[in-house]
Amino acid sequence: MNAVSSMVHLDRGGRPGTNEGAPARISVRNLDFYYGDFHSLKNITIDFKDRHVTALIGPSGCGKSTLLRCFNRIYSLYPDQRATGEILLDGRNILAPNVDVNELRSRVGMVFQKPTPFPMSIYDNVAFGVRLYEKLPKAEVDARVESALRRAALWDEVKDKLRQPGLGLSGGQQQRLCIARTVAQGPEVILFDEPTSALDPISTGKIEELIEHLRTEFTIVIVTHNMQQAARISQYTGFMYLGELVEFGATNNLFMNPVKKQTHDYVTGRFG
Amino acid sequence: MSLVASSEHILAASHAGSPRPSHSGFDRIFRAAAFGCAALVLLVLAGILAAMLYGGWPAFREFGFFGFVTGSVWNVGADQYGAWPAIAGTLSSAFIALVIGVPISLGIAVFLTQLSPPWLKAPIATAVELLAAVPSIIYGMWGLFVFAPLVANYIQVPLNSVVEGLPIVGTILYSRVPSGTGIFTAGIILALMIIPFIASVTRDMLDQIPPVLRESAYGIGCTTWEVVRHVLVPQAGVSIIGAIMLGLGRALGETMAVTFVIGNANRLGGSIFDPGSTIASRIANEFNEAADLQLNALIALGCILFLVTFAVLIAARLLIARVQRS
Repeated sequence: MNAVSSMVHLDRGGRPGTNEGAPARISVRNLDFYYGDFHSLKNITIDFKDRHVTALIGPSGCGKSTLLRCFNRIYSLYPDQRATGEILLDGRNILAPNVDVNELRSRVGMVFQKPTPFPMSIYDNVAFGVRLYEKLPKAEVDARVESALRRAALWDEVKDKLRQPGLGLSGGQQQRLCIARTVAQGPEVILFDEPTSALDPISTGKIEELIEHLRTEFTIVIVTHNMQQAARISQYTGFMYLGELVEFGATNNLFMNPVKKQTHDYVTGRFG
Repeated sequence: MSLVASSEHILAASHAGSPRPSHSGFDRIFRAAAFGCAALVLLVLAGILAAMLYGGWPAFREFGFFGFVTGSVWNVGADQYGAWPAIAGTLSSAFIALVIGVPISLGIAVFLTQLSPPWLKAPIATAVELLAAVPSIIYGMWGLFVFAPLVANYIQVPLNSVVEGLPIVGTILYSRVPSGTGIFTAGIILALMIIPFIASVTRDMLDQIPPVLRESAYGIGCTTWEVVRHVLVPQAGVSIIGAIMLGLGRALGETMAVTFVIGNANRLGGSIFDPGSTIASRIANEFNEAADLQLNALIALGCILFLVTFAVLIAARLLIARVQRS
């Protein structure tokens, strides 16, 4: 942990992203990202604090989802995408070539724009990820499934139909099922990539409430193009524009007293 | 900006001119023609079925339906006809084709959609499609002159020395005459012929799965095998069964290539290497010189092929319905 916090101070001079004084779970250092020849993230340096919600905002194409997709290296499914620089998770560079990406992804869970239940029962959707990495007796798997569904605020709605297919649930329930699936694996970090963009306002409210609860257990990074959502649920916010991290700070400060003009224009709705 | 654009739209709309003249007469003819095209399919199908039943009727009357289906003697000299060896040959060669062809097809589809580097995709996909474009007579000639001797030398002869005298496998895997032609060789050739169909339909199905589902499976730490086995194949499951049935349909009815390599024996052997015949190969072999009851028996065989294909389709539907329920 000391190693990590000393890394935090490496990059000085008022650069956005360094957030002095607090323990960082993920530290991004000089990250560049390329889609083929297109340079889509430019020299990003930012820290994500343990057990806080950090929101990434910015107009479409600004690179916020791309940044998120680096943290579990999901981009490496696509051969023409590559990242250079460092992303330290608990002090270890996850961009290093010898990192076991499957193990990494069990520690860094991700929830996507659209609900993605697997073609199996509600129970199996949650138990599947648990069984991948741990050989547990059935009773223990049952307990993990129940606990995950409770933490995803879904248990009461599905406890009588655990054997039915996950695809039979409503959109909002499916998304909470996906959160339960992620939570059940016991990750350290949960990444949310516009998790409510396909949901109605009531489901959105439930998911936001849920993220508020999950903050006590996990480090959360959420990408959203809904600024009100970022203001409601995050403690820190980063504003990105054209592949650069323009400004990063406590959510209140960023929305009330933005330092950069671009940030001010964006949060006051002048563009984006 | 948007104001300008919308005023241009209004201008354009006002210049559109008078209402277009009515074409209702032409449209009525067009509708009738389209209906006629669709009705033609029903007519042709009904016509074929009726002609087959009419032509095969004397054979069914002579031996009885079940007597004909289960009869194992096909003797032209004695005017004695039983369909069982041809039915069993059809089913077993198609079964061997599926056992060999389905895993290979799925492997091709998974490689093309999940693993292949982009530069390798087009060559492999094209090669698979070319495999479908090879005429069946080519498969037959290649199978008889090139592949059958290989089967004889490198599979049948070595296998004989291993299984000879053993119970069960000594019958099923023993070749009395290691000539290379037989049910097994026909099954392999059929597998080659159905792979392109199953592989390309399966590839399309896997391609249609939203990338985000695949990403979320990788996202919880699945390996490629786990993603394919537990998420992608079940997600595409019903359509993959459909693709397999498409291949099975082709395997059951394939005539020319099978006639070359199956050995054309009228008796049913106990070994997968024994020569045999399928319904289609029997008809192709004898139609030229058939007359009277033999001709009726061949047409009756054709009826049965119809029925077998139909039964396969129903079984597929039931299977699909069960997958959809669960």
